[in-house]
Amino acid sequence: MVGETLKFWLMIAWLLPLAGFVVEIFFGFYSKNPRHSKAAAWCAVGCIGIGFLCSANALRIWGNANDWCVLEVAEHSNAHADPAHSEETHDADKALADHDHSDADSAKGQTAYSGVIYTLGVFGSLEVTLDYYIDSLTLVMFTMVTLIATCIHLFAIGYMSDELTDEYVDHSAHTADGGHVHRPGRFYRFFAFMSLFCFAMLGLVLAGNIFQVFIFWELVGICSFLLIGFYTERKTASDAANKAFIMNRVGDFGFLIGLMVLWTFFGTFRFGDTVVDDQVVDQGLFSMVHRDNTGNLTREEFTGDVLITDTHGHVLTNEDGSNRQIPYYLMVVVGLGIFAGCVGKSAQFPLQTWLPDAMEGPTPVSALVHSATMVAAGVYLAGRFFPMFVQEVLLTIAYTGCITLFLAATIAMVATDIKKVLAYSTISQLGYMMLGIGVFGWAAGLFHLITHAFFKSLMFLCSGSVIYGCHHEQEMPKMGGLLWKMPITAFTMLVGVCAISGFWVPFGLEFSGYHSKDAIVASALAFNYANPAHFLLFLIPLLTAGITAFYMFRMWFYTFVGKPRDQHVHEHAHESPWVMTVPLVILAVFAWFCAYGGESGRLYLMLTGDEPAHVAAGVTAATAGGIVLPGHDAIHAVHGQAGTWALIAALSGALIAYVLYGTSVVNVEEMKRQLAGVHGFLANKWHFDELYDALFMKPAHKVAAFCAWFDGAVFDRILHSAAKATVIVSKWDRVFDENVVDGFVNLIASATQSVGTSLKVVQTGRLRQYVMFIVLGVVALFAVMFTTFPG
Amino acid sequence: MFSELLNNLINNTLDKGLDYFSAELWLSGTIVVMLLMRLFSIDRLVPTFIVGLIGAAAAGWCSFGQFADLIAANDPVSVSFFGGMLRQDLFSVFFRIFLSLFLILTIALTVLTGIPDNEDAPDFYTLLFGATIGMMLMASANNLLMLFLGVEMASVPSYVMVGFLKGRKASSEASLKYVVYGAGAAGVMLYGISLVAGILGTGDMTLLADRIRVVAEGGTAGLGDPEVRTVALGVMLVMVGLAFKLSLVPFHFWCPDAFEGASAEVAGFLSVASKAGAFALLVRFCVGLSGVPETANLMTAFGVGLGVIAIITTTYGNLAAYTQNNLKRLLAYSTIAHAGYMLMAVAAMLVMLNSDQAAGLGKAINYSIGGLLYYLAVYMFMNLGAFAVIALVRNYTFNEDIDSFKGLISQSPALCITMLVCVFSLIGIPPFGGFFAKLMIFASVYQAAQIHWAMYVVLAAGAVNTIFSLFYYVRILKAMFLEERPANVKSVPLPAMEGYYVVVLAVMVALLGFLPQLVNGLSSIANEAGNAVLLVIGG
Repeated sequence: MVGETLKFWLMIAWLLPLAGFVVEIFFGFYSKNPRHSKAAAWCAVGCIGIGFLCSANALRIWGNANDWCVLEVAEHSNAHADPAHSEETHDADKALADHDHSDADSAKGQTAYSGVIYTLGVFGSLEVTLDYYIDSLTLVMFTMVTLIATCIHLFAIGYMSDELTDEYVDHSAHTADGGHVHRPGRFYRFFAFMSLFCFAMLGLVLAGNIFQVFIFWELVGICSFLLIGFYTERKTASDAANKAFIMNRVGDFGFLIGLMVLWTFFGTFRFGDTVVDDQVVDQGLFSMVHRDNTGNLTREEFTGDVLITDTHGHVLTNEDGSNRQIPYYLMVVVGLGIFAGCVGKSAQFPLQTWLPDAMEGPTPVSALVHSATMVAAGVYLAGRFFPMFVQEVLLTIAYTGCITLFLAATIAMVATDIKKVLAYSTISQLGYMMLGIGVFGWAAGLFHLITHAFFKSLMFLCSGSVIYGCHHEQEMPKMGGLLWKMPITAFTMLVGVCAISGFWVPFGLEFSGYHSKDAIVASALAFNYANPAHFLLFLIPLLTAGITAFYMFRMWFYTFVGKPRDQHVHEHAHESPWVMTVPLVILAVFAWFCAYGGESGRLYLMLTGDEPAHVAAGVTAATAGGIVLPGHDAIHAVHGQAGTWALIAALSGALIAYVLYGTSVVNVEEMKRQLAGVHGFLANKWHFDELYDALFMKPAHKVAAFCAWFDGAVFDRILHSAAKATVIVSKWDRVFDENVVDGFVNLIASATQSVGTSLKVVQTGRLRQYVMFIVLGVVALFAVMFTTFPG
Repeated sequence: MFSELLNNLINNTLDKGLDYFSAELWLSGTIVVMLLMRLFSIDRLVPTFIVGLIGAAAAGWCSFGQFADLIAANDPVSVSFFGGMLRQDLFSVFFRIFLSLFLILTIALTVLTGIPDNEDAPDFYTLLFGATIGMMLMASANNLLMLFLGVEMASVPSYVMVGFLKGRKASSEASLKYVVYGAGAAGVMLYGISLVAGILGTGDMTLLADRIRVVAEGGTAGLGDPEVRTVALGVMLVMVGLAFKLSLVPFHFWCPDAFEGASAEVAGFLSVASKAGAFALLVRFCVGLSGVPETANLMTAFGVGLGVIAIITTTYGNLAAYTQNNLKRLLAYSTIAHAGYMLMAVAAMLVMLNSDQAAGLGKAINYSIGGLLYYLAVYMFMNLGAFAVIALVRNYTFNEDIDSFKGLISQSPALCITMLVCVFSLIGIPPFGGFFAKLMIFASVYQAAQIHWAMYVVLAAGAVNTIFSLFYYVRILKAMFLEERPANVKSVPLPAMEGYYVVVLAVMVALLGFLPQLVNGLSSIANEAGNAVLLVIGG
């Protein structure tokens, strides 16, 4: 029953933006004065706002239905953080949670609801459906996405208001004769795309099977494409849109491979079991792999293949009686394939280069799509699909995240475009989340996903407010001293900066980033203790925590304090209207306090409520990869230590930024000259674009040029000679046709024609003759009958 | 005893007969209403065609109710009523629905083309309805007497309709020719009926075969027996009467002249409806003669004979159409040719029905009659479509020659596309309805050819004739699509309502080919109807 109620509310929240999209895109265009009307915007805000209320209501219902038991149980265990104790508390908790289930794996069956929405097609015993899978992660994501989207929609009403015209002059786009592009405003279209995006994103979160995830994965991709290329007349924008879409295709290729393997070996895409009257009628993927008490997958003893089991861990058999199993390497392929999709969507190394370019889209898009939600979808999927990942895959995820977070952070140090700084920061933070998931800090990674969504969308909106206030100036070297020109923007942004840096404040008022980043660093440290060989997985994030604080404060000092560097910009700068500042304040509150209480706070406990079953205990026995994964206790044990180090790193980063940019003690330009090599290397984004250009683009061009030459020189020649031959043959054919074939046909025609003409003679039109013909006919028939019929 | 008989008759009539006869009764009632309307000048207030449409629709609705009842029944039903004069089965119901629908379409066409005018409308529709009732009687006739009555009841109004364009000399002449020719044919047929009924002592068609067996006195019936010889002569004379209705060679002479003289609407009606009735009658007559081993030889020869007539008719019709310039005359020959194609189905049925493997061929025999019915259904739409286009163009150009169609595509694409679809279907080009109809008939001829080699000849002649027909049909298309519109020809504006009407016909022709559900549904119903008509010989 609860499942149905939750489904009802979430379906409303999911489908309203789609309805909004339809209304906006069609009626927006056909309304009386489409270019000047804000109706589309309020429609979009209304849809997503109601969506937020529905999601929040669903969250409340879920909590009430489960008596918030997950939270209380978890709080209980957190109260006894010391390792010796926690082992037995955990067991006790499990027993508590499992009171009606014998099997530990199905503990989360209490809180996760899944089922079918619509059947797309049935292929023999296999079926492709639209499903829903609702657990605490789904609900938290829903609430987060709808809340942030509501704020951003509201903000965009102000930010996009200059599109409310019949004659929009795009100063960044040039016509062939050097003038600016003039075009009608596209206010309603922007909101239509945003609504479509919200629909797709919520669909992705609600999805109950991996194929459905893929459908909405592509839908958010196309929305991203449309929104990045919103200023389609600008070449940079359309190029960026193409780049984003194509690089995502690379990742999606892996995703597809993963899907094929899954389909082949498991025969289903569904995550959860379909339960009717307490009977499992349709098994989902997650219950098809079973983990033994060391946290490893159940495997065939000799071949090492992973066994496919039923919900109780009994091995399923094929029709011929043999065990159903999947080769271990294919489990790795599945994991890596799905993760490849995540790499593309979340802009992880080596597919990270599209995200900075995606900043060509309007700033609200950057805030919603390219920081808070869509790019986080990769992390969300990695988290959602976690039960299917084996250790090798997790290690790959961890290293990918680690490389990404360092790489992006270093580039962010030297970027001067305010949105680019935030873009690289986003990549870096996504790297943190991936790292968190990779080192078995499942909840830590997703925790950071939520907190990051709030503070990063806040900072993007702040940057949007700055850009709007400075009349579309994005270069930080032209700003400075804006603190008292736009105080609300400046202080809300400071909240965001402190939050991402992870500052500690007494009395439990810590910034949200403090909790979430600490959780990741702690997981990394615990992993480091368990596997000393992978020490970089701890050191680099720690170092990067400092870098993060540095570049974030650099940005803030650059923009808001110091002397105005460009008088023109400074004089015209102004604070934004209320539709833009109100969302800033709302988001600032959430960015500061959403993680209130840290790991005993509600948000974290909500997330851990539906943690995959094997995470809490960790993976104790090393397998082929030699990786041991830390459980909760191991992580708790090092939490304080890791937190202290991370805070020290962040504080020192912030201090350096203050010294360099907040005071005039050090001449930054001089430093830049001194370190020209490093600076150039970083400013050119580690030369990744050049590298890809040399590795892929140039060879592709070479191959294309060769193909063109081959086509022209070989194929065309063959074709031309074939054509010539055809012409010659057809000339002969014509002669043959005209004389022989036509002659024959004409012969028939003229013969039949002459018969026809001669028949005309019979039809004289004389009645007397006709009547005589009756008589003749009867007599003739009679004669024929008597001569031929049997006697 | 006499009163008992009378009571039985009345009870039977009131119980079932009137119900079975309701479609005809509706039409008769409509005639009375239309005539009364004119008497009291109500026709000035309510257009007559509205009453006509309501009457036709009611007849169709009654027939559809009977159809639903028959389909719902578990076993196929075939009962005689009105003292054995008429027969009620799926076959007759099929034709009642067919004729009602066609009546509605014809009335709609006459309304659109404006022939007849308000003054003459009650007369015209009375004739039209009278002819339709006659055709319905033909389709359900169970007695030789009804055979004759049906044919005459269908013919006499037709004579008048052909001459309906009173002012035109050609029309009157055509009508006169039709009457005299028809009278001659009717006389021959009546003579044949008297011979058959006199020798066999019954008019009930279902009993004919049995009686011939009695006459042949146990041996195989052959022409050596003088009584059988007389019966054969009678059957042949009856055939002549039917051949007149079907315009089979050599009894087709009236057809081109009558069609040329009549208006296109009447020609369209005659070419489809009167053919349908005559084929129904022919099938019933042939089935009545078959079914006993003693007549098998004779009837197989009869079937082959029909096949030969079919060959001659088709070939003659197609070849004679070549040199025609008047489109109605051209279509008259095309009608003759199509009658030949449909006769092939009857020939195939006779050959299969009278072979010694008839029991095993039940499905194939159903299929041959089903093919005939399917052909008729498609023919209704495609032929009416062609005649409708001619009538509509005539209303603007006052001309029915092929020259008046030149370059029509530039002025009235809807008419041209309709004509294209109809002509392609008449030729039998896939995927239009005409193709499947022809395919079904040829398939059953092929089945029959497994029994008697002569049917291979029929099949070959049918195939060759399809090619022959291509030439003159395509001439129409060539004139419409490829040639320039001559300057002196009056222009044909794109008609609105008329356009919808012909497009509906064209769409039906196309759907009867494109839409598998429709093709399968109609052909399975047609096969069911084919099965029903065979019930009388316990098949």
